[in-house]
Amino acid sequence: MTDKKQSLTILEARNLVLSRNAKRLLDRVDLDIRTGSITMLLGHNGAGKTVLLRTLHGLLAADSGSIIGPSPARQKMVFQKPILLRRSARKHFQFVCPGLDETTTNNWFEIAGLSAQMQVHTHRLSGGEQQKLAFIGALASNPSLLFLDEPTAHLDFESTTAIEKMINRAHANGTTIIMTSHNRAQAERLAQHVLYIHAGKILESRPAKQFFKKPSHELANNFLNHL
Amino acid sequence: MEFLDALKIALTMLLSLDPEILGVVSLSLMVSFTAVGSALLIGLPIGALLSSYRFPGRWAIITLSNTFLGMPPVVVGLFIYVLISRTGPFGWLGILYTSYAMMLAQFVLVLPISIALSRQIFESLNAEYTPLFGSLRTSKFNRIIVLITEARVALITIALACFGRAISEVGAVMIVGGNIRHSTRVMTTAIGLETSRGELATAMALGIVLLGIALSVNIASQFVRSNFEKSTIND
Repeated sequence: MTDKKQSLTILEARNLVLSRNAKRLLDRVDLDIRTGSITMLLGHNGAGKTVLLRTLHGLLAADSGSIIGPSPARQKMVFQKPILLRRSARKHFQFVCPGLDETTTNNWFEIAGLSAQMQVHTHRLSGGEQQKLAFIGALASNPSLLFLDEPTAHLDFESTTAIEKMINRAHANGTTIIMTSHNRAQAERLAQHVLYIHAGKILESRPAKQFFKKPSHELANNFLNHL
Repeated sequence: MEFLDALKIALTMLLSLDPEILGVVSLSLMVSFTAVGSALLIGLPIGALLSSYRFPGRWAIITLSNTFLGMPPVVVGLFIYVLISRTGPFGWLGILYTSYAMMLAQFVLVLPISIALSRQIFESLNAEYTPLFGSLRTSKFNRIIVLITEARVALITIALACFGRAISEVGAVMIVGGNIRHSTRVMTTAIGLETSRGELATAMALGIVLLGIALSVNIASQFVRSNFEKSTIND
């Protein structure tokens, strides 16, 4: 039963092509994301990770190709640099997750360890606190699919650990996660499946354990040695 | 000595609420408030529109408003004079040498400021929030509401900047207003006239008021900013 459930595909992309200013950013990308999995999108800076995440989430329109996935309302994205409105943390959360009652709101802030920061202006929060706020904003609607674009970049160990806990919690609740990271240890800790992207092309798609043991593509192997 | 005497008389005029001075000050404020209010009413939506939408003629509007930013006021005055003079295309309006002409001149001077500054503010906010709005599938209407809410302090600062520019204008209002006593004489034109006539006390009294207004605008701008920061921390 579990295997059957795991084998269901929540997101399917076929032949995605995206070019900007005569440069091909995504080059005939095909991928299938299994329901309930954590997929790690790895690649050098400029390989197309963010562009792919944003295209899959519908923020960028591909020139051609198809994407079949959950409805926009069932998808959320957390950006590398949290995008927060210039207001208190509580008011930002209420904008991002409208309709939540006071108790639920308080619970989410407690989960993020931000109860004491509810009234603080978002731009006065630390980097870690801002990212936690962005996370609970994305998780509170219990999305089926969550895109995370280097969610712990530039964060200290403590904040990274807290964010990873939230990722694991979302995963345990059934959310499918597609994320990028430049932290090998983190990628190995979290990933179940790895997609290696280079120059807008998916060069390798393998279970994480196999990938980290020995990538089959030479470029992926070189990348991993420098990660 | 002459300066001290003039200053003494000027202060006396101000303290005794000289009707002539009050008339000039109130006309100046009325003209500038009307001009700035109209410029903001039209300029801010244009700024928001230019920052959020691509449409034919967009760059022409941007170039025009940027060009007018650096336009010398006397040239603006001359331009409006030609348009509204008896033989001009809008001569039939009959507004030359009236306060309406001065409002129009100040409006033309501050409209580009409100357009250019608000466009920059909305553009930068739009760029920052577009991924979030896209991810949340925020409607166009709600986007505009959020952008205006987020930009409110900056918009107030724009309003104050426009007012400062309008109230201190002299060249254009002199040309189209004519500096007529009890009719189109405003603080700046009156200062020019009284100084040339050697009536330093009156000129200084008006100068003090103008300086006070400029200072008030500056203080108000600082107050709005700091008050906003406090209120958003505790909202």
